[in-house]
Amino acid sequence: MKGTKRWLALPVVAALAAGVVSGCSGSSDGGDGKGTVKLKMIESLTSPARTEVIKKMIASFEEANPNIKVELISPPLESADNKISTMLNSKESLDVLEVRDVTVKQFVTNKWIADLTEDTNAWSGYKDLNANSLAMANYIENKPYYIPYGLYQKMLFYRKDWFDEKGLTPPKTWDDLLNAAKTLTDSANNRFGYSFRGGSGADGYIVDLLRDFNGANVNTDDAMFLKSGATIFSTPEAKQGLTLYTNLYKDGSPKDAINWAFAEQVQGFVSGATAMLIQDPDTIDPVKQKLGEGTWATAPMPVGPTGVSHYKVGAAGWGMTSYSKHPKEAWKLIEFLSSPEQNAIFTKTAGVIPIHNSASVDSYFKEGAYKPYIDMANDPEHFVAYKPETDYKGFGEWRKIVQQDGQAVLLGQLSIDDALKKWDAYWMNEKQQGK
Amino acid sequence: MKLFRLNRTQTFIFLCLLPTILLVFGFTYYPIVKGIDVAFRNYSLFNLSDVRYIGMDNFKTVTSSAQFGTILKNTALWVSISLVLQFVIGFGVALLMRRSFRGRGVYQGFVFYSWALSGFLIGIIWRWLFNGQIGVVNDLLLKMGLISERIGFLSDPKWAMFSVIVANVWYGVAFFAIMLLAALQSVPSELYEAAEIDGAGSFGQLRHVTIPYIMPTIISTTALRVIWIFNFPDLIYGMTNGGPAGSTHILTTYMLDKIVFSGDYGQASAIGIICIAILVLFTTFYLFATRAGKAGDF
Repeated sequence: MKGTKRWLALPVVAALAAGVVSGCSGSSDGGDGKGTVKLKMIESLTSPARTEVIKKMIASFEEANPNIKVELISPPLESADNKISTMLNSKESLDVLEVRDVTVKQFVTNKWIADLTEDTNAWSGYKDLNANSLAMANYIENKPYYIPYGLYQKMLFYRKDWFDEKGLTPPKTWDDLLNAAKTLTDSANNRFGYSFRGGSGADGYIVDLLRDFNGANVNTDDAMFLKSGATIFSTPEAKQGLTLYTNLYKDGSPKDAINWAFAEQVQGFVSGATAMLIQDPDTIDPVKQKLGEGTWATAPMPVGPTGVSHYKVGAAGWGMTSYSKHPKEAWKLIEFLSSPEQNAIFTKTAGVIPIHNSASVDSYFKEGAYKPYIDMANDPEHFVAYKPETDYKGFGEWRKIVQQDGQAVLLGQLSIDDALKKWDAYWMNEKQQGK
Repeated sequence: MKLFRLNRTQTFIFLCLLPTILLVFGFTYYPIVKGIDVAFRNYSLFNLSDVRYIGMDNFKTVTSSAQFGTILKNTALWVSISLVLQFVIGFGVALLMRRSFRGRGVYQGFVFYSWALSGFLIGIIWRWLFNGQIGVVNDLLLKMGLISERIGFLSDPKWAMFSVIVANVWYGVAFFAIMLLAALQSVPSELYEAAEIDGAGSFGQLRHVTIPYIMPTIISTTALRVIWIFNFPDLIYGMTNGGPAGSTHILTTYMLDKIVFSGDYGQASAIGIICIAILVLFTTFYLFATRAGKAGDF
């Protein structure tokens, strides 16, 4: 009996051990030998409604290409980019992935994603992409490393009914916005002027505001700096900007907002606690669902004292891994997802600005809540696009620093001068180290 | 070769153990060794083409941060206050549930329920409960007339650490209640009878019978709990993200920050090693110091 047991145990152990070893490395080689190609695709900005649309788009793709099967991985939003980096670093089998403006530099530096120049040269739809999409696709090294599926850009949401009640018009400048916020604030009734973003993600709000105060002096190609080469934090205008920022918090926003991130900020607006909100187009849908028609409206971003507003176009899209075994099929999928028809379906659900020139004639985007985007695009003298600073090594650390220092300034633990001095030093150092 | 000359039984045992050994080495020891290695490298996700050794630089960077002092202080507060409150309340709850009463099973379910939730989830729940604008805690306090103005539990640095500790206490009470209840039920009833005959009241019984009897459980559970609370960034991360202005950062949330924001696994690993060092020191000291306590064991 003992002998039998031993011989039985051997294969079991071997199987278990093999399982352990293979569990650590990617296994699938795609394809099952019958001419069917299996693609693996991963998304990053996951949300249930969006995943559903992507699945529908994949289903139509598979219908049109019966020899290609696509497996979609949808990790939770919070950890998605980390998961993608880990998968890429260990060369796990993956063909198509969601690339974001904040991750593209990292992916390219580590040679994880493929240069799509050859594919885009052969693609007729590439020329139909609008200027912002082309710029974002070619953000790194002037080569298309991903095809955006949509663009993000901030605008102002406001409570039309409250504004009408007080006889106010939508603010055109940051000073207007501060004054409107003060007028609308009635803390005894738990009503505040502005949905302030003090928590995670506050960095973009602070820096954009300081850029607007620096006006036309900002170097839009390297937007942490002025045309003179000094940082945007080194000027008296920056001090004015940061002063307005603190006043906006103190006199026009809920005290609690120092810790508000995206969810609280939007919740504050739709629950009727705040009168103004600055957000991306993906907020249109939740606002529409919670607030009655006619009680709210959208407007272009407020401008700085010299009439300039700087905007960053955010983008995310689809790219291909550099080690994909099926680059042809992977590109086919990216091309399909980026076609005007599929992009129209996607952008309406995801609440992003479409990537094709042809979309600007679509009445859905020409009227209503999306209209400020068209207005801002048609007024390039006052609304100036800049290249985001996401390609600096210190960008990730910077976001944390400015969030934390921003809170310290609001709490009075750090003076405005000291904060600006510290940020100035940080970016002079970044510039020295190079991108 | 002598080493490998095993008899049949030994071979069989060894083969049975092999999968576990492989698992433990693959998923416990390998990551530890790798983590130590990474701590001395320039290992940032931003650029993995240059992962050279940089000596103690990562340790210098993290310890010379202006926040590091606050972080250590917060870690000490977070661990000690959470532990004491969790233990005292958990012990009280266990004592209340020692004798059987109608519906005890259901009641136990409610008490133990918090232990089944994930830290991030608890963080998100408490984040909304403590919301300074629309949070239910403020609402209740206002309606009870205890406060006249809403408190920014998570936005005011004076309250933020208090708030995350409250949430942690709520979570951890269940653990002590479970463990201590099990220990309490093992105390032989003869001991209480004897103590009663000797004239001990209920406090005397608690002091001279219950606590000495369950002392080994108390020592091991508190030691475990210190390590777990120390290594529990989930809750703070979900509630305040270390804010406002870094006032609720502890070592492990600081470590997460290094990964999430900077992608700097080198510095994160350096913090991880500092954590291990502190915990090893603590555990050694604690177990040494409580040896005397064990002597009172029955």
